[in-house]
Amino acid sequence: MAFTLYSLLQAALLCVNAIAVLHEERFLKNIGWGTDQGIGGFGEEPGIKSQLMNLIRSVRTVMRVPLIIVNSIAIVLLLLIG
Amino acid sequence: MNPGGLAAVGTPRQRKWPSKRRVPVSQPGMADPHQLFDDTSSAQSRGYGAQRVPGGLGYPAASASPQGAFLADPVSNMAMAYGSSLAAQGKELVDKNIDRFIPVTKLKYYFAVDTMYVGKKLGLLVFPYLHQDWEVQYQQDTPVAPRFDVNAPDLYIPAMAFITYVLVAGLALGTQDRFSPDLLGLQASSALAWLTVEVLAILLSLYLITVNTDLSTIDLVAFLGYKYVGMIGGVLMGLLFGKIGYYLVLGWCCVSIFVFMIRTLRLKILAEAAAEGIPVRGARNQLRMYLTMAVAAAQPLLMYWLTFHLVR
Repeated sequence: MAFTLYSLLQAALLCVNAIAVLHEERFLKNIGWGTDQGIGGFGEEPGIKSQLMNLIRSVRTVMRVPLIIVNSIAIVLLLLIG
Repeated sequence: MNPGGLAAVGTPRQRKWPSKRRVPVSQPGMADPHQLFDDTSSAQSRGYGAQRVPGGLGYPAASASPQGAFLADPVSNMAMAYGSSLAAQGKELVDKNIDRFIPVTKLKYYFAVDTMYVGKKLGLLVFPYLHQDWEVQYQQDTPVAPRFDVNAPDLYIPAMAFITYVLVAGLALGTQDRFSPDLLGLQASSALAWLTVEVLAILLSLYLITVNTDLSTIDLVAFLGYKYVGMIGGVLMGLLFGKIGYYLVLGWCCVSIFVFMIRTLRLKILAEAAAEGIPVRGARNQLRMYLTMAVAAAQPLLMYWLTFHLVR
């Protein structure tokens, strides 16, 4: 059971990459998860689906540039150390 | 050992030096008294050294001469002052910025414990069935320190329990001839990784269900760290009494942790419902109840997963 912190970091990086790759127009709109489709009224309970959509959109916006950097570092490290 | 020639020069200074040079600066290279007598800058200390060498080990003489050399040299004096001012600046910088990364003052709250609190809390972790009042007392909007309220979360027990768990895991592996030092690090890292996964998963679910709770991240780490106590008990019993003892104690601790987590988290996550006692707006409260049950059920699972390979 070699579940180390390093493998956790790798898994987290892959998950964030997966979220960042979901394209807004081509994919999310087609399954009804586009961010302009989910804004309900100003009710008190946003609901899980709209929270998820907000989360996806904010991850894509915020993590775009840091992901480039972290991915480059990870690629170089994996090439060198394996 | 004293040539006697410069003792006269040293005599007027002798009165001052013993009071100043009380600090035994034991530099390994300077312990040889013969070397000092050739050093011209330590001419004042020669009489001092003659008095000291029969009695002591030459350390006061050793301390006299290099410091004499230091203070007599203005460049090294300046360098020392510059170095100490640099160190002071660095310390200031660290003190100013440490609060951004690690909330030191908040952490101090979680370590304000005493022996009685630890004893009562450990008893509560193993036997939570008779405890009636699970509310944390507040004092003017801030929660009371753990020292004064047994319901308050602390980080002392989880930290100590984690370290003890790693050590006990090493002990268990050693009794089965499977021990090697890097396995200790592997166990620690694995347990930490599972803790991180738990914290992230719970934070994500709290965000998705939009729970307005005062459960901070450190609180969550504290609550999730309490299961290490049960794990230690289980593994120790397994070492003493074999698999039967391990399963018995682990089962007991699993149920206790389950009840403990439900009763504690109910007050934090299901705050309104717990306060009124009436299920308001059933759907949302249902989700919160599911979350509490899931968190509480994950504890026994993780307790088993992290310890079953240690007891054979």
